[in-house]
Amino acid sequence: MRGADYIIKRTAFAIATVFVAITINFFLFRVLPGSAVTDLSRVPHASPQLKIALAKEFGLDKSKWEQYLLYLKNLTHGNMGISFATQQPVWSELAQDLRNTIPMVALGTFLSIVIGMATGILSAWRRGSASDQISTNVAIAFYSFPTQWLAMMMLIIFAGVLPSAGMTNPFIFGTPTFLQHMKDVGVHMILPSLTLALTLYGEYTLIVRSSMLETLGEDYVLTARAKGLPQRTIVRKHALRNAMLPTVTLIALSLGYIVAGAILIEVVFSWPGIGRAVYEAVIQRDYPMLQGAFLILTLSVVFFNFVADLLYFRLDPRITE
Amino acid sequence: MRRAGRVAAVALAAGLVAAACGGSSGSQAGGAGGEGAVKEGGILRLGTMTGIDSLNPFVTFQQDSYSTFEYIYPFLVQYNTKTLQYAPDFATKWETSADGLTWTFHTVPNAKWSDGQPLTAADVAWTFNTIIKFGNGPTANFSQDFTHIDSIATPDANTVVLTYKTPVAVVLSNLQQVPILPQHVWEKYATGNGKELKLTPNTPQNGQPLVSGGPFVLTKYQTHAITLFERNPNFYGTKPHIEGFGLEFFTNDDAAVTALKSGQLDAVESIPVTSVATLKAAGLNVFIGPGLEFHDFIINSNPKKTTNPELQNPQVRQAFEYAIDRASIVKTAWLGYAQPGTTIVPPGTGAWHDSSIEGLPFDLAKANQLLDQAGFPKGSDGIRVANGHPMSYTVIFPHDETGAGDRAFQIIQNDFQQIGVKITQRNMDDSAAFAAITAPGETGYTSFDLAMWDWVPLEDPDFILSVMQCNQYGAWSDSGYCDPTYDQMYEQQASTVNVAARRRIVYQMQEQLFNDRPYIVINYQDITDAWDQHHWAGFVESNQGLFNPLSKESLTQLHQV
Repeated sequence: MRGADYIIKRTAFAIATVFVAITINFFLFRVLPGSAVTDLSRVPHASPQLKIALAKEFGLDKSKWEQYLLYLKNLTHGNMGISFATQQPVWSELAQDLRNTIPMVALGTFLSIVIGMATGILSAWRRGSASDQISTNVAIAFYSFPTQWLAMMMLIIFAGVLPSAGMTNPFIFGTPTFLQHMKDVGVHMILPSLTLALTLYGEYTLIVRSSMLETLGEDYVLTARAKGLPQRTIVRKHALRNAMLPTVTLIALSLGYIVAGAILIEVVFSWPGIGRAVYEAVIQRDYPMLQGAFLILTLSVVFFNFVADLLYFRLDPRITE
Repeated sequence: MRRAGRVAAVALAAGLVAAACGGSSGSQAGGAGGEGAVKEGGILRLGTMTGIDSLNPFVTFQQDSYSTFEYIYPFLVQYNTKTLQYAPDFATKWETSADGLTWTFHTVPNAKWSDGQPLTAADVAWTFNTIIKFGNGPTANFSQDFTHIDSIATPDANTVVLTYKTPVAVVLSNLQQVPILPQHVWEKYATGNGKELKLTPNTPQNGQPLVSGGPFVLTKYQTHAITLFERNPNFYGTKPHIEGFGLEFFTNDDAAVTALKSGQLDAVESIPVTSVATLKAAGLNVFIGPGLEFHDFIINSNPKKTTNPELQNPQVRQAFEYAIDRASIVKTAWLGYAQPGTTIVPPGTGAWHDSSIEGLPFDLAKANQLLDQAGFPKGSDGIRVANGHPMSYTVIFPHDETGAGDRAFQIIQNDFQQIGVKITQRNMDDSAAFAAITAPGETGYTSFDLAMWDWVPLEDPDFILSVMQCNQYGAWSDSGYCDPTYDQMYEQQASTVNVAARRRIVYQMQEQLFNDRPYIVINYQDITDAWDQHHWAGFVESNQGLFNPLSKESLTQLHQV
């Protein structure tokens, strides 16, 4: 029953977190100076009534509390509202951005996890060797590069070889077949995903390496060695599994943030994703878009953390004790 | 028009100047084209950093959207970008009554929309009447274009008659900005409170292109990515040489430049000045010509402001102008691709610019002398003391101005240091910067001292002159300037139909602003477009670049070589 208690507690905590985040999301953006109405009403030949008309249209003529209650009410009906800037439903705008973002960021994150874990394990296993030195230093270097700088370098190096912007060849008139489309997207995804993988993997390398080193020094590993078990088995069964706890947290966090996109990479590679959409929404004070995007981000982060909590429970039975 | 919101906002209308020719000096290079044998067909791949936020004319406020409307919708008139005169578009000719109140436009007979439906004067009247009808709500972004209008009549299918209550000087300038929409597509949205007029995305649906009336039909649109156009066989005017074109949106101008260099694009609008040399070296054509955009140093001019009253002192303002080294800013911040500024009506507007006004020369000794005379001696730290406090001010600096604007600020900051005035940059995003300028509240204008920003005026000076009126507090004003005499002159020019008489008033207004210095105009920014001239020729350049909301000339005359 301790397990059930644990799960109930974690679930309640997750729900409370989401509610608090929703509320903070609502008020946070309204604290920013500047207003969408002022921005959008400044069109050269607009009538003075435009400002009033927009405020009314956006519901900003109501009090903050009324707006908040309306927002909660709409949310319970699954309605995220209408974007101030584009006048289109927030959900349809965000859904499109997410469809664009998730494959690119997921691929980049997946690659970073694979490369990071492989190099981390290898470094720990061959601790102190030249390959450990090289691998660790390269990882630190990539981890330290500013994302946008690395992205620009990739852009310059691969100019003319790989596409520099967008997620498809934009100048295709007519409808390409599914396979052509997938190939097109794939080619466009290489640079942004690879850049993302390179900027992220170093973190995994270092964390996996250090937690592996910790477990490799434990008595039970010594015991395993004394028993004459092969190196591979020691690493995989005894060291790695115990070294996984911090890595699982990191992976869960990374997965949670996939829906946040990768603003800097999306900007450099003109990827029409959610990171860029959020950035533009901030600039435009497009509250419904911001609330929608942050709601999705909140749900995603909370969900993956919840999953991580459950995995902990599975990986480390001591948690319930 | 940039500026808080102008960011994009204005850009829209802003759009109007034309100019490869423009009357101002300093244009060079380029070769707007026309040379080479005309080869029919081809798809132009054009890169842009502006993008299209919405294709609904009642929603959008980005410049590229308005340029797009120019190519897919009829307009009554357009500009001749060489002469800056109005030229026929859907109206083949027009006349004005002697009292200036009645404007009669004769439209192209037997014209058709891209779906084969008739395109007539009825579409014009419906569009204009709809804008007027919902002018306090969904269509408010166009409603000022119809100020003082009394009625719109269509005596026959090819004639539109606009009757005004009082003479209006800017009838053609206004009409040049209003796209004519297909009534048979849009009338279903103009019911009730007209809300649907704004909610329709106006994008191609179910594989069907947008019903278009211009030289191109819009066939595909992906937000923040791509817009594709194909030739419209039903277009009433001269058909384009090219089969179509695509507009690819870049969020990173270096990526666009890289794509142009590597052959992934054929042309890019508004390349950064730092890329000009690179692109030229790569064998690409770079057009440099006078633009409309100007950058200005703003001094809070709200007569009711009580803090730091020394900034209201005309001598101090003059001293500031003497201490701004425009030549150095043009050379260092803009790498030479700009012109020193004087008045808020840029030379790109042709004869509306009062070229007799000369900016004060860079002269630190003179600036120091003026400040000494004003009674603001230097303190022990070298900073002057005015009214009991050091002359140390914060300059609101919106995100819009980053890049060359940062470099300009540093030059000004160093020179101001030498006249005993300390200025500090306060970086903010555009929305927050505008809020800081209008603070407290939306119409206060008493908190800020100095700012920097830019404008992209229209070809007609009416708009840029309007922003300095008292009634623009909370709307376009970013200086707090308010002077009843100026406002009177504004009203007067707006109703003076005689061009020469109106120009005299416009000159007076420029002079007053120059002397009062709510702005010190630092420089006019050049247009910098680039394209592959080995394959393309015929672009018609303008003060708004090669893809502009001024006329249908550029992409209809463009061709392969």
